[in-house]
Amino acid sequence: MATQGKTKLVAIVDDDDSMRSALQGLLEWAELPAQSFASAEEFLKSGQQHQIACLIADIRMPGMSGLELQAQLNAERCRIPIIFITAHGDEKMRMQALRAGAVEFMAKPFNDEALLESVRAALES
Amino acid sequence: MKVLSKLQGYGLATIFCGIALGVAWPIDAPSSCFLLAVTVSSLFGGLGPGLLSVCLSALAFDYFFLWRTFPPAHEPATFLRFAVFLVATLLITGLMEIKRRVEESRARDQEALRQAQADLAHVNRVTTMGELTASLAHEVNQPIAAAVTDANTCMRWLTRDHPDVEEAREAASRVIKDATRAAEIISRIRLLFKKGAPQQELVDVNEVIQEMVVLLRNEASRYSISVRTELVADLPQVMGDRVQLQQVLMNLMNNGIDAMKEVAATRELALKSQRAGNGELMVSVSDTGVGLPPQQADQIFNAFFTTKVDGTGMGLRISRSIVESHGGRLWAANNSPRGASFHLTLPTKVEAHE
Repeated sequence: MATQGKTKLVAIVDDDDSMRSALQGLLEWAELPAQSFASAEEFLKSGQQHQIACLIADIRMPGMSGLELQAQLNAERCRIPIIFITAHGDEKMRMQALRAGAVEFMAKPFNDEALLESVRAALES
Repeated sequence: MKVLSKLQGYGLATIFCGIALGVAWPIDAPSSCFLLAVTVSSLFGGLGPGLLSVCLSALAFDYFFLWRTFPPAHEPATFLRFAVFLVATLLITGLMEIKRRVEESRARDQEALRQAQADLAHVNRVTTMGELTASLAHEVNQPIAAAVTDANTCMRWLTRDHPDVEEAREAASRVIKDATRAAEIISRIRLLFKKGAPQQELVDVNEVIQEMVVLLRNEASRYSISVRTELVADLPQVMGDRVQLQQVLMNLMNNGIDAMKEVAATRELALKSQRAGNGELMVSVSDTGVGLPPQQADQIFNAFFTTKVDGTGMGLRISRSIVESHGGRLWAANNSPRGASFHLTLPTKVEAHE
């Protein structure tokens, strides 16, 4: 859905402090506004699900996992494009995430150019 | 060195017998004085000097106090007196030698036991670390992945048409922080694999808890377990072995994670530190898992007791040994409504304030 003239906010959900800072730094270079959250629960509590244009999320987190967050957003009919980044990239998990509607599934350390392309594509969609 | 100490022993035996003779003559108490000389010679010199003192004492006793001749003459009472003296001195020397050998054997056994305990603790650490390999690898991978992203971002800022040095500098700072974090994690892992004699140093238990939370954070995340810490500020330090205390925390936290793996409800691992009075501190590791086996709150600390299919049953036994060797206690209790808590106390080193 085109969102010309509207702020395209990207949400970052990762329990790792360094990873959040790194992603925020990268998106800042790309002039993409971003907001980071330390957990899936924190993201849901913020109530910003419907203002977010793209979500970058880790899979394994304390409490609610990335896949559980995806399921929750689907249940709320919140169709945010999700890009998963994870260090535990097994094929089964990848297929599960893609079938549930994720637009990309990347293993850490990921290619930053590939991530930016995926984010831009998700924002254009 | 050994020959010299033997020579010293023989010399001292001769001197003690000489002194005994000098004292025995005026007070006419040869048996007591020479027996004392033999006892002291055996105690300090060992078997050889002890036997020398027996010979010298027997000679002196016979020559100066019995018949002034050698060998002894025919009077049965005198001969009997000499025989009893000789048996007594030989018995003392023999008993002293047995006592010394028993003490040496006990010291060797204790050393062997200490070594076996240290080896077992090392095996436990290595085994546990081996089980955590995937999680530890992930824990190191996180800061490395962040560092790669930050380094690329730094390059992007510098290769723009109008490079932004300030932003590049910030990205580079993040790379340093990430790489340092990765190095620290690897350093902690290496220490836990290390085998060596226990070291005594002042240890900040809150720091140890935080280090183990970092190492096990990913393992907890794997099973969607949240980790909460409640650490009192300015906790007094303890005198102990840092690696062993890390091992105790690792065992307790790992057990807590295992207890919650199959639980459907909220999974939380809580670590708390507090002052406990009497110059002690207390650390509690609590979970919301399956709880302790009924009526077996203390048996779980027995060697080879395990509820896990592939468990060795040594983790809690070793943890308790370590805590007790630090002068503390380790025990467990069930939580309400579910789960278990493991509590340990340790004596602290409170610094004197002038």
